[in-house]
Amino acid sequence: MSRYVVQRLLLLVPVLLGVSLVVFAVMALVPGDPALAILGPYATPERLAELRAALGLDQPWWRRWLGWLGGILQGDLGRSVSLERPVAEAVLERLGPTLLLAATALLLGTVLGLAAGLLAALRHNRATDRLVTLAVLLGISVPPFWLGLLLMLLFAVWLGWLPASGMVTPWLWGGGAGAMALTVDVARHLLLPSLSLALVAAGVIGRIGRGAALEVLAADHVRLCRARGLSARRILLVHALKGVLARVMPVIGLQAGFVLGGAVYIETIFQWPGLGRLLVDAIAARDLLLVQGGVLVLASAYVLVNLATDMAQHALDRRTAAA
Amino acid sequence: MSRDASRVAAEGIATPALPVWLRHPGAVAGLGLLALVLLPALAAPVLPLADPAQTAPAQRMLPALSAGHLLGTDQLGRDLLSRLVWGARASIGVGVLATVIAALVGTVIGLAGAWLGRWADALLMRGVDVLMAFPYLLLALAIVAALGPGLGNAMLAIAVANVPFFARAVRGAALEIRHQDYIAAARLAGHGELAILAREVLPNLAPTLLLLMTTTLGWMVLETAGLSFLGLGAQPPAADLGSMLGAGREFLTTYPRVAVLPGLVIVVLVVGINLVGDGLRDLLDPRWVPRRPGAGLVATRAAGPVATRAAAPVATRAATPAAAPVATPVAHGRGGTGAACADDLPLLRVRGLEVRLPAPSGPVAAVDGVDLDLRRGERVALVGESGCGKTLTALSLLRLLPAGAVQRGSVRLDGTELMALAARDLQALRGRRLAYVPQEPLTALDPLFRVGFQIDETRRAHGADTALATPALLRLVGLSGVADLPRRFPHELSGGQRQRVALALALAHGPDLLIADEATTALDVTVQREILALLRRLCAEQGRALLFVSHDLAVVSTLCDRVLVMYAGRIVEDAPAAALLRRPAHPYTAALLGATPALGRPHKALSVLPGAPPMPGTQPSGCRFAPRCPRVQPVCHAGEPDLVPYAGRGEAYQGQDWDEGRRVRCRLPLEDEA
Repeated sequence: MSRYVVQRLLLLVPVLLGVSLVVFAVMALVPGDPALAILGPYATPERLAELRAALGLDQPWWRRWLGWLGGILQGDLGRSVSLERPVAEAVLERLGPTLLLAATALLLGTVLGLAAGLLAALRHNRATDRLVTLAVLLGISVPPFWLGLLLMLLFAVWLGWLPASGMVTPWLWGGGAGAMALTVDVARHLLLPSLSLALVAAGVIGRIGRGAALEVLAADHVRLCRARGLSARRILLVHALKGVLARVMPVIGLQAGFVLGGAVYIETIFQWPGLGRLLVDAIAARDLLLVQGGVLVLASAYVLVNLATDMAQHALDRRTAAA
Repeated sequence: MSRDASRVAAEGIATPALPVWLRHPGAVAGLGLLALVLLPALAAPVLPLADPAQTAPAQRMLPALSAGHLLGTDQLGRDLLSRLVWGARASIGVGVLATVIAALVGTVIGLAGAWLGRWADALLMRGVDVLMAFPYLLLALAIVAALGPGLGNAMLAIAVANVPFFARAVRGAALEIRHQDYIAAARLAGHGELAILAREVLPNLAPTLLLLMTTTLGWMVLETAGLSFLGLGAQPPAADLGSMLGAGREFLTTYPRVAVLPGLVIVVLVVGINLVGDGLRDLLDPRWVPRRPGAGLVATRAAGPVATRAAAPVATRAATPAAAPVATPVAHGRGGTGAACADDLPLLRVRGLEVRLPAPSGPVAAVDGVDLDLRRGERVALVGESGCGKTLTALSLLRLLPAGAVQRGSVRLDGTELMALAARDLQALRGRRLAYVPQEPLTALDPLFRVGFQIDETRRAHGADTALATPALLRLVGLSGVADLPRRFPHELSGGQRQRVALALALAHGPDLLIADEATTALDVTVQREILALLRRLCAEQGRALLFVSHDLAVVSTLCDRVLVMYAGRIVEDAPAAALLRRPAHPYTAALLGATPALGRPHKALSVLPGAPPMPGTQPSGCRFAPRCPRVQPVCHAGEPDLVPYAGRGEAYQGQDWDEGRRVRCRLPLEDEA
């Protein structure tokens, strides 16, 4: 392992600690006294004090944070009031579908965005470039939830090509269908929700990608590849593409944040059984421990994705200095 | 050069009455879209609209164009148009407010980070880092979850989630301002830090801040709409566009209009905001050039960066018709007529080479009618000050000019007319018969690939079987002793090693002609001498022709047989190296020699040639050197002299005519004064 990787892994510790502190602090924003809320207005001061001690509310904030942190390290995120089961269990169960959705959306968005950006740069100031620029502008200006509704209306309701909601067709699940049929079924369910997120991500990636491609294609070291007799295709697909990827990588990391956050809308619209929908339900039920756990897990996933994109950028361009 | 010049010119041409932003089509379109949503939203209280909260169950889901309801009614019989206008009003208001709050708090944090010193800065910025480690939507969601749903809380959550972004950007801008001279001056004048912040920093920060706010306003509107969509923002009966969309979702299949229209308004609004933001960014960017009607389009296109595939055909298209009169329409293949008479034909024959660069007033010739011949194995130097057209000449021999530059004339390699070659045939020549070594080796090497990879791909470009094997190649350029070299990246090599790698890439296919463009200028003197010795050896041993571009006559003297002196796009003197160095004929050559330190003559007085070569397009009508020439006579201004044979005194030098084939472009060449 190179020094860079070790450094980045070590840096992960304070960032994750910080993330947990922020999640903890946000939940401390909840107005009012939790003990009062639980016991009601007629509780005696003694009972209130007793419950506060039981909830740890009489402790200083940092002790409560450390206690919560200790629980997390043991896989204990508390107990969900609304689901009447451990938060960790509920969250982990929903994490898989969300990661599947987010990863697909990010991959689609990256491929679409890079292709659009490169195409626009190659056809700089021509009709294709203007068309891509317009599409990219629409991409970054469209609310993903509205886009999701439109896609659903068009492809599921009007054309009937794709399922409108859920992750699998219920009768296929556990119905003895083969792995292949099941995969195809999930892919069909996945297409619309991931596309709703991917088109927006592609807008941002395409915008940055176009600028990066213009810069890279004009750079001397790419231009002068031609002096060595390399083919235009090789220069584009090897030299220019790597340069563009290295520049776009941090933006892909940022888009992971958008995709993970945006999953909240898209899972709600498409009834996708993921963490985002769990969060919306938990907020509606005022199940704060569940919200806390879900946000913590999603934010940690985002931190890890950013670690991955940073490392990918370092692998693409070794001049990137360690933080 | 060209950018600033064209900006000035463009502003000169434009009608002064037209504000500059009106010439930014994106900004104008953006303002139009914005007005479409913003004006009705602002005027909502005075517009004759129905009460947006007035329910009428009997009139639910009326279609568009119903009596009294232009866009129909929604699921509760409320007027849709009225709700859209009032909803947009709420969305814009919340978005703007969230932006202002985020900007204010972010500015305070950013300024504190930039001004309070290391520890406070480190602490604040780590805090910002941690907040940025959250997907911002998730952070906003958590805050709303804690505070409870409501439009005010949603707005606050979005604002908080965006504070880190502003804090980081403001800190960066403020740190830059902090190191400016006028801040130091204000301190010396005895102003307190707070006064400096208020009077000096904030006004200078304002454009950046305005730009940040415009570019984030779009997100803010989208994000608050998102929270409302989830039911966490506006609570009924109040509504913003997001909550209308969320409520309309249930009726998507039956009455799509109710959900689709609010989304459409959001899109129009946000596209408008983003276009205005982009426009503002361009207008605040000093490098931005407003587009002029007609000619402006051409200029913008020409000034644009190169696209690898696009550039070649454009240049070809532009160049071929002009070249046609000069070039023979028949392109000779290798081994055709050209090779048959290779003995009497030079390896490279250039005739009437012209390179035109785009300029606001139309293209100007930076290389203006260059003729040159290079025999097989001959080493020729091309010298002159910067800006004389040397590099453009060198690049045009490979047809590798930067985008926008157009070349004309004839370039023949072994009888093959390069100007008439298709891109694919040209590619087959580059690197194999013609090779190029640039001034800065980092421009010849892609920083993202290992040296070994680049050597391999270059060897494979024309079939690896004809190329030199990598170890032999590395030995050739004196790199065989560097351990692990192929595994290294260009930035892990020294300047000299990089230049040797660049040479190795150029030599991989044993080219007939090596073009070295200031290939030693960027190196320190000892390394420079090593590379020069290497070049001399490589050419002498393998009978390779060399075109060595340099501004340094001292370097040239040890390497080349013949020297071409270039001034303002023209060859002004062409002479054997020994004769030229001892007895320059052109006053410009003499001036260059006078400015060259000579080895072993430490006390030689260096004379400096005042002034600079004329910019392309501004050459005088007479001799181009006349304005700077110490020997100028009235006759020099009467038309430009031709490049004519110069006899000198016909002395012999080492058994050869001292001045053989010598030419000079001067009416009053220097005589031997000794």
